Order: sequence, then structure tokens, then C-alpha cells
Amino acid sequence: MATAGAWTRWRGASDPLRLLVVVVLWLLLALFVLYPLAELIGRALSDDSGFTLAPLVAAIDSKSNLRAFANSLLLATLVGVCGTFFGFLFAFTVERTQAPRFWVGLLDVATLLPLISPPFTTSIAFVFSFGPRGFITHDLLGMNNASVYGLTSTLAAETLTYFPLAYMALRPMLAGIGGDLEEMAFSLGSSRWRVFRTVTLSLTVPGLANAFLLLFAASLADFATPLILAGNDFPVLPTEAYLQITGMFDLKGGAVLSLLLLVPAGVVYFLQRQVVGRRRYVTMTGKGRAGTSQNSVAPLASAALMGVCLAVVLFILYLYALLLIASLVISFGANHTLTLAHYRVIFTEGLPAIEDTLIIALIGMPIGGLYGVVVGYLVARTEFVGRHAMEIVTMLNYALPGTIVGIAYLIAFNQKPFLLTGTAAIIIACYVFRYSPTGIRTTVALLQQIDRSIEEASFSLGASSFMTFRRIMLPLIMPAFFAGLSVVFIRSMTAISATIFLVSINWTLITVRILENMTELSLGPAAAFSVFVIVIVVIVTAALNRVLRHLTAPGLRLPAVEG
Amino acid sequence: MITSRTRRIASHGLSRRGLLGSVLATPFIARRAFAADTLNAYSIWPENYARPMMEAFEKESGIHVKFIRFSSGEALARVTAEKANPQVDVLFGGPVETFTAGQAQGIFDNYVPPAAADLPARFKDKGGAWTAIADDPLVFMTNTQFLKQNNLQAPASWDDLLNPAYKNMLQMADARTSGTAVTRIFSILQVHNRNEDEAFAYMKKLRQNVQLYTKSGGGGTLPVGLGQAGGGIFFIVDALFTRQQGYDVQISFPKEGIGSAAECIALIKGAKNPDAGKKLIDWAASPAMQSQLAPNKINFIPANPKVETEAGLAAILKGANIIEIDDAWAGANRQRIVQRWVAEVLNAS
Amino acid sequence: MIERAEPAGIRLEGVSATMQDRNRGEIIAVRNIDLDVRPGELMTLLGPSGCGKTTTLRMIAGFQPPSGGRILIAGRDVTNVAANQRDIGFVFQNYALFPHLTIFGNVAYGLQVRNKSGSEIDRAVAEALELVGLAGFGERLPNELSGGQQQRVALARAIVIRPRVLLFDEPLSNLDAKLRVSMRGEIRRLQQTLEITTVYVTHDQEEAMAISDRIAVMEKGRIAQLDDAEALYRRPATAFVAGFIGRANLLRGTVESVREGRAILDVGGQKIAAAPQGVPAPGHAVTVVVRPEAIAISSSDTGLTAVVQSRIYLGDKIEYEISFGGQLLNIVRFNPADDEGCLPGTTVSIAIAPADIRLVD
Repeated sequence: MATAGAWTRWRGASDPLRLLVVVVLWLLLALFVLYPLAELIGRALSDDSGFTLAPLVAAIDSKSNLRAFANSLLLATLVGVCGTFFGFLFAFTVERTQAPRFWVGLLDVATLLPLISPPFTTSIAFVFSFGPRGFITHDLLGMNNASVYGLTSTLAAETLTYFPLAYMALRPMLAGIGGDLEEMAFSLGSSRWRVFRTVTLSLTVPGLANAFLLLFAASLADFATPLILAGNDFPVLPTEAYLQITGMFDLKGGAVLSLLLLVPAGVVYFLQRQVVGRRRYVTMTGKGRAGTSQNSVAPLASAALMGVCLAVVLFILYLYALLLIASLVISFGANHTLTLAHYRVIFTEGLPAIEDTLIIALIGMPIGGLYGVVVGYLVARTEFVGRHAMEIVTMLNYALPGTIVGIAYLIAFNQKPFLLTGTAAIIIACYVFRYSPTGIRTTVALLQQIDRSIEEASFSLGASSFMTFRRIMLPLIMPAFFAGLSVVFIRSMTAISATIFLVSINWTLITVRILENMTELSLGPAAAFSVFVIVIVVIVTAALNRVLRHLTAPGLRLPAVEG
Repeated sequence: MITSRTRRIASHGLSRRGLLGSVLATPFIARRAFAADTLNAYSIWPENYARPMMEAFEKESGIHVKFIRFSSGEALARVTAEKANPQVDVLFGGPVETFTAGQAQGIFDNYVPPAAADLPARFKDKGGAWTAIADDPLVFMTNTQFLKQNNLQAPASWDDLLNPAYKNMLQMADARTSGTAVTRIFSILQVHNRNEDEAFAYMKKLRQNVQLYTKSGGGGTLPVGLGQAGGGIFFIVDALFTRQQGYDVQISFPKEGIGSAAECIALIKGAKNPDAGKKLIDWAASPAMQSQLAPNKINFIPANPKVETEAGLAAILKGANIIEIDDAWAGANRQRIVQRWVAEVLNAS
Repeated sequence: MIERAEPAGIRLEGVSATMQDRNRGEIIAVRNIDLDVRPGELMTLLGPSGCGKTTTLRMIAGFQPPSGGRILIAGRDVTNVAANQRDIGFVFQNYALFPHLTIFGNVAYGLQVRNKSGSEIDRAVAEALELVGLAGFGERLPNELSGGQQQRVALARAIVIRPRVLLFDEPLSNLDAKLRVSMRGEIRRLQQTLEITTVYVTHDQEEAMAISDRIAVMEKGRIAQLDDAEALYRRPATAFVAGFIGRANLLRGTVESVREGRAILDVGGQKIAAAPQGVPAPGHAVTVVVRPEAIAISSSDTGLTAVVQSRIYLGDKIEYEISFGGQLLNIVRFNPADDEGCLPGTTVSIAIAPADIRLVD
């Protein structure tokens, strides 16, 4: 077909403003993505005589490193499988059984909690519940000497933390697959189970694959949960890298370990592009239920599914209840007198951390949002030399585990000419370049819904690139801007793996304080901080969502935002 | 303007440009004040110990101290990484072996406070790289309930910890990140007269009973207090803090002897506020600070002999066999010993 | 009153376009075409999917750079001029209204770009909306309007800036049949009133014939024939054009002889007389075009005979499919009288005036 479709790039005559923006973006990317990475690799793969692969070889040679590597892969795979399973379970239950609305709302809230929580929340609750004198293992089940450290706990905690990602990715997909196909299969005499197997499941396979990869990557990069729960018998790479640097003062060793993580991270990234590729994002419509078939799930199966989901939800709520209680009693486990002392502590001694975190979050938000929108627009809609390369580079810091990025920034920005350690800028830069890709993806997805011809119409009427962007595209992709804001904010409040290396005298973060508090056995303040973070995040994201709904141009649908 | 008629969507009223413009400048200005009355420090002492001390210092000297807490390993790594551009002036608190290691990295500036004259040799570096401000012996801490349930006495020997009853019930520090662990390891070495093979054989056996090697020195105290773990080896400050919080724990010492670590302070080379830093060191090494420990329920033994050990603390220490660890030897061999520990003990399974 | 701009002519000289197709690599969409659109005329580019008509239109608009050749508007070489500087109005197939702006905002957009004053804009927009029959719709949003109304807004938006050239990309294909017919009339009326040079792209030949001054029939990137509707219908230059404009029967035969100004063709054993175009040599194989309505049919078995294959009674006409000389022909009889004899299976006699038999290559 000769018609240029909705996806072709704007090949118009050169546009000085666009050129300027592209150049500026490349400079920023070079400084905040490529340069730290190069420094990291340089520092890792060098010794007195210059560049060498010897440290890498030595690291691979080391049995304990290989063990950590293998553990990381094993854990990630298991988390991927389990998380996808639960995510699918939830999505299927919501989309295919006749679950009442309130119940669906409950599920939504419960699955949102792990996504917006600061790190360690699940882990702490796990230790309390499943340790040798755990509430569940000892008090309820009468087990003595249960072991809470190791693969099982880490797996369970990470699955609980990340399965909502799978849920959020799979739900619109199941909603989008019309009940028609299933109904047709029924009408042809298939049993319900058969329909499920042959129709529903097989149509969902790409979604399942995508969810698996999402979770695999998330687990691979998770530094916080294994720090608490993996124990000494199950070392994993991001934690080992961190310990190598902070414990053995071996920056080079830690850098090398981080590089090992690059391999699976890269593989996952490319696999994801294959699976998701250029597909349209299945959009989340308001009327997702319209497509469901009345018949697809037998009442008994329905009840069973709902039961399982409910059990999981209750468990999640239980964990968070523990957190809440720990923040409200004097000494959890010893002295259960109710008190607001911990909250007082976080708002007095912890106030600098709160202020710092909020300031950084509030500054990072608009920068991240704008960056996401501009890059998304350029990459999706315009043509310029190196566009494809830019697309990849912008995703680098997002795809890499946080530990790598943190270490890279620590190395790169502690020396002239880019002395940024000790400032907030380094933390903000880390957040912006690490978490904006979600905004980029959302922008791209939205743009795919906006036909080319709308921009062409603007051009044909005489508007410049800039005016077209400002008056037409920007308002239309405003939702992506807000999605970007939202993600950067949530991450700013809850991230730790990268930024633990970047805090300083002048700027500290709530999540780092939580970690410190926990290691100092000040459980109360740690819990209080966590509760505070959750509340703030809920309020802010609810507000942003409100504004978002007002601003979405009628007729446009928002893609499901994932992590 | 035609805007009101061309756009019917609820106006978002955000001035995007205003938002961006007004706050962009801030983060690029390091908030650190360069005035003479501010001081920056990394504290290895926990927040709730360091803060009262810093506040007291500010009251006396008028100098405000900005500090952030790191565990000893993290602190050392940080200062070393920042060598080219030191972010702090003083490294406050932390076990001596961290300081000897740092000395080897060349991150300290020599400075001898006046109070050093009163200190015994083991509490100061000959060249003035660091000075001790407190002493902190290691102890065994066990959960009372656990002991009762297993019909055990509070452990009085290193070998007591090898009892199968303690299987998966011990928590102690990880040598990669915590000075507590290093002190513990060197205590064991000392008890075995520096016979490394013997010492490591013991530690390998001990490993069988260890539930978790914790990131920070005191990380295991809460689990022991709660009963999640049966016991562990900690610095006395952490053990007593646990008891003070209301957890029912026992403190005991091995008859073969156990070491202690001096808690030190040092001036960072290239510090931006060296004079203020020196004032802090002067103050910390002297009775001025150390007499504040007991009132703040901080259970370090003061290093300065002019300050008396608080009565309750003294009572606990009565009869304990605290042995001396050769800090110079420890400093020189730290890296090697820790690596051996990681290879042979930690990764033993 | 909307002032009229000086109508501009459009010239394409040797224009080509190549496109990247994901599956097939580089394809040549438009091959070396020359086109001359006279000032004030409505020229239609007509052809099937893939013939290059839309690509040509987009090159005139500036949305796509030609890979060769020149494009001139009003005598000015705009080949390398950006789309937003060509002073064109473009009406899209899917309307391309700005969803977040009101109708007023949409129509006013181009004027705002040109920094017109507020009162001028108000006036011009009101007038434009009036012209397309949407007066008073200013405060609505695009998604509140029907397809036909949206297309009219798109039209208003394009004409309000009084461009030198108006370009339409299949603007009516998303509308239902009745609406198409009424809208095309409106577009034509408007275009004539404003005297704007217009290039119109469609695949609907009836539409093209209804509104155009001239039609360029395109096939595979080239212009097969450029003429007005009547000439295209009555004197198609190629079999393709003949088949595309109206219905055509293509007969294959050989030239038997040429005498008395007539070419005698042998078609499957039967002889028909055609008015010769050019000098066909005897023995030559030729293809001729005969329109279905140009064939007279009667029940008899004299003269040229054929056998009826099917007969469909449609009220205002009867359609026959007959077998003649081994080839299938379609016949349309309008306003039929009594035709009982021409039933399927019967032999019938057909007659075609020589002038209605055209040779095509």
C-alpha cells in the first residue's frame, strides 16, 4: 500500500528546534547514562597496567560469585513463574468470574500496596511471621526453629512484591480478548477447561511471556529483599556487589560483580522487545467487562479462584497490618503499649530525611515527566540520525539493576570534571534517567493511538514543529506526562538500590533511613517511616490520577502503566 | 485570548514553566555551608548515640555538626571513594580496626588532641591518625526464654556456643560490613594464640549454628531480644541497649577471654573544615564528652581514664576476661583474614 | 466576505517517490509523473489501492519528499519547501480534527498560526462554519459530532485560511453512501464558489466523475490517462482505464480487414465492425472495449448471436450475462420493455454500433 501509515516518521525538512532538542538530549544521555557506565566498566576492567579483562575473568572464576550469579538467575526465574502465575490468577478472576465490584476494588488496592511501598516492608513482616519465633510459624503453627532466611522466604516475599506487575500487565490483555472467541468455542461444544486451555491461555501467551520477563528483571535487580531475607546461604548478585563495595571497600570488585548482572539484564531486555515489539499496547478501556463471557468459569471454579485470591489479599493486608502495628507500639515483640512516639521521632529527627526526599521527588517529577514526553515524542514520531540508538540508550538505566547504576554514578561523579556527589542533583539525575522510561513508553503508546494525520493537519495549517508539539501533541499526551510524574514520584519515595550509594551529608532519603533504622534495631521509626511513605504516595498518586482523568482528551484511552 | 473558547477541558492551571524555573537551581548548590561553625561527619555510632553527643558539642562549642550514619564498612568505603573530594571532616566513632584500615588507605590526617596525653598506648595511634574515645568489649547475649526452654546456662565459654541446641539460633555480624565481626574474629584468633588454622576450624564449627550473619554489628540483637534467635556475639553497648528496651536477655563472657574494640575518631585528610574538626576531636577525646555517655544511657566504657565507668556497667564487667588484641597486627592482616573468613567460613556450605 | 485568493496552478515535473515497505523493501510508488493542474480547477487522482495517488497528493502537500522531479505551486518551486510553508489546505480521510479543541478552536487554528486578530478570527470562523452548514456548532467537541459533521469541520478548517491549493485525501470514504453523495456535491459547490485549485484523491470513480473538472486515472504509479469524465468514459486509452471508469466488456479478437472506414474484427468466429482508431493491421490481435449499455439485445437468432448465461431483473434495468464468441459479455438494458425472449439458455441476437467499439492497447 502506498499510503504512509500512521506510524511513519516525520521526514520533513530539517527543523532547527528539533535538532537542538536532539543534541541537548544526546548530551544529557551521554553525561548521565553513557559516561557513568563507561566509568564503571573502565574501573572494573582495569588494573595498574590499563584495560584488562582479568578482573572479569577472576570474578567469573570465583566459585562464590558464580554461586551468587546462579542464585540470582534461579531466584529470578522462580519469581517470574510464581509471580506470573499469581498475576494471571488475579487477572483471570477479575476479568472472567462474576466478581462483585467491591471485591475487585479490594483486589486493586491490595495489589497496589506492594508497588508503592518502601523496601523492606514485606521482609520485616516476613521475619516476624516466619522466624524461629515467628507469629505464624511459632505461635500459630507451633513450629520450633523455623528458618526464615533463604531462598523460600526471598522467593515468597519477592513474589508478593512483584506479582502486581503481572496483574497489571495481564488484566487489560484478558479484558481485551473478547469473550466472543470463548463463547464460540463453547457453542461448538468444548468443555470449559478445554476452552480455557486452548483459547484463553494460548491467546494470553505473549502477555504471559511479557509478564514473566518483567518479573524476572525486577527480581534480578532487587537488592533490598535479599538483603534482609536471603541470609548467608543464598547470596545473590546485587546484594553481593553492594557488600563488596561497602564491606570490602572493593569498589572494583563490586563494579565487576555489577557487570555480571548486565548479561541477564541485557538478555531480558532484548527478549522483551521481541515479545512486545512493535505491538500496539492493549488499551485499558473503561468497559472491560463487556467482553466477558458469562459461561467461561463454572461457579465452583469461580468460588475457588476467588477464595485463593482472597487468601492472598488477606495475607498481604496482614503483612501491612504488622507494619502498622509495629509503628504504633513501643517495642514490637516486647512491649505492646500503644504510642505515637515513633511518629514523633520521624517528624522531628527524621524530618530532614522527609524534607530531602520530598524536595528531591518534587523536583524530579516535572523533569522526569517532561523528559519522558519529549523523548517519547521524538522517538516515536520523528526521524533523525541515531534515533534507534537513542531509544536504546534511554532505556539503559532503566533496564540495568539499580546497584549497577548507583555504583556507576558513585564512581563517575566523584571526580572532576563532573563533581556531583553530595548534591541532590546526582540523586535527581539518577531518578530521572532511571525511571522516566516508563513515561517514555506511555508516551509512545499514547502516540500510537494518535494518528499521524493530526500532526500533519497542524503542519498543513502552517504551524511549526514547536507549535504543533506545544498546542496539539503535548495536550494530547498530557496523560503520559502525568504517568511519568506519577512513576518518578513513587520511585523517588520508595527506591533504594541505586540511591543508597548516592546519599550524603546534605541529602538523605527516607528509604535509606528505614534501612538504617532497621539495622539499628529501631523498628518503630522504620515502620513509621514506611507507613508515612505509603500514605503520602497514595495521596499524591490519587491526586495525580484525578487530574489525569480531567485532562485525557475525550476518546483517548490510557495504556496500562507497568512498573 | 481565545483560549477560553478554544479549549473546554478543565484548565489545569499549572504553569509548567514556573514550576520548572523556580526550583531548578536548588539542587546544584550543595547545601553544605562553608561557614566555620558547621562541621560534617560520618558517624559509625548509631543515630541515637551520636545525636546527643553532637548536640552536646554544639551547645559547648557553638559548632553545628551535620552527620549521617553508616556502618563501619560502609563508612570506610565512602571516605575512601571520596578521597579526591572529601565530603566530611571527621569520622566519628567506630571500632579501631576500621581506623587502622583507613590509615592504610591514607584517608586520615594526623592530629593529636591534648587529651591523648592521658590515654594508654592502645587508645591512640602513634602518629596521631586516630584517637580512641571509648572502649567496647564484646559479649555473649542470649535470650532468657530460649535458655530456659533448652535447659541451658548463659554461655561461659566459646565452646558453649557449639552446643547443638544453638543450631540455627545464633546471629552475629558479617565481617564484610561490620567491625563487630572483625573484632570477634580477632578475639577468637587471640584466644587461639593466633593459630589461624585452629581459630578457623572453630569458626567453621560455629558456622553450623549460625542462623544469619548480619549486615551491621547490632543487627542480630533484636532477633535475639524477640526470641527469633537464641543468642549472639555483640558489643556490650548493643547488648545493653536491647535490655534497656525491655527485651529479656542475658549477658555473659567466655572464660577464655574476649576482646574489645576501642571506638575512635579521626580527622579526614583534605577536610574542608579542619579546625572545627579538630575541636570535635579535642572534645570527644576528653572527659567533656565521655562523661555524657552514662547519663545518655550509652554503654561504652570511656577511654579517657579520668572518667569513671558507670556503676551498673562496671558491675556487669566484673570478672570478665577482656583480652587485648594487637591492633597493629589486626590492621595489617585485616584484609587477608576477612577474605579467608569469607572463603572458608561464610561460604562453607 | 471571504476574499478570494488568486487561484494557483500546480505543476508536477517528472515526480517520483519511493517508499520503504517493511516486508518488500523499497518500492517505487510514483514513477516519473508529469501533471498540470490548472488554476481554479478540481482535478481528481483516481485509481485503485496502491496506484500512487495518495502518495502524489502527499508530495504536493509536502508530507513526503519526492525522490525525483519538481513540484511547483503558482509557479514557485516548492519541492524542498516544508509543508507548513506551502499555503495549502488538506482534508484528511479520517478528518484529523484536534480532539481536545472545540470546533471553533479547530477551525480557528490555522488563523491563529497566521496571527490574525481576535475579531478577524471570529468573523472568518463564523463564515466558514456557515459555508459548511455548521453555524452555531462552535462550542462543541469533535467527538460529539457525526462523521459527516466532522468532515465538514475539517473542510471548514482547511478553507478558512484560504489556501492557494486545497487537497483532499479520500475525504468521503468513511461516510455512508447517501452522505457521500450529498457531501461530494457540497464540496464541489464550495470549491467552485471559492475558485480554489483543488486536487482530490479517491478510488470511487462515480465520485470522481461527479465533481471533477478533469480526472487523472492512475495505475501502478503512473498516470494512465488524464481527461475529463466524458472523454475517459467514451474514449478510454487503455483496458485498465476502461475497466476502472464505468463497467467495460473487454473482447479479444483479430483484425480481419479494414474497409470503408471500418475495421472488421473476428471475435470467436463472429464478425463485428468497429470504428478504427489508428491503423490496425490485418491479422493483428486486438482488445476492444464495449460498454454494457451499448449492446442491444433481442430474441432472435440472426446477425451476431450469443447465448444468455444469466438474466437479473433489477426493476429499472435488466442485466444480462451472455456468451459471445466464446467470451463473456455483460449487458445492461435500461428501462426495459418486455423481454421474455431473452431467458437464460436462449440464443439472442446482439448489435453494437461501431462507434461504441473502441480499440485499446
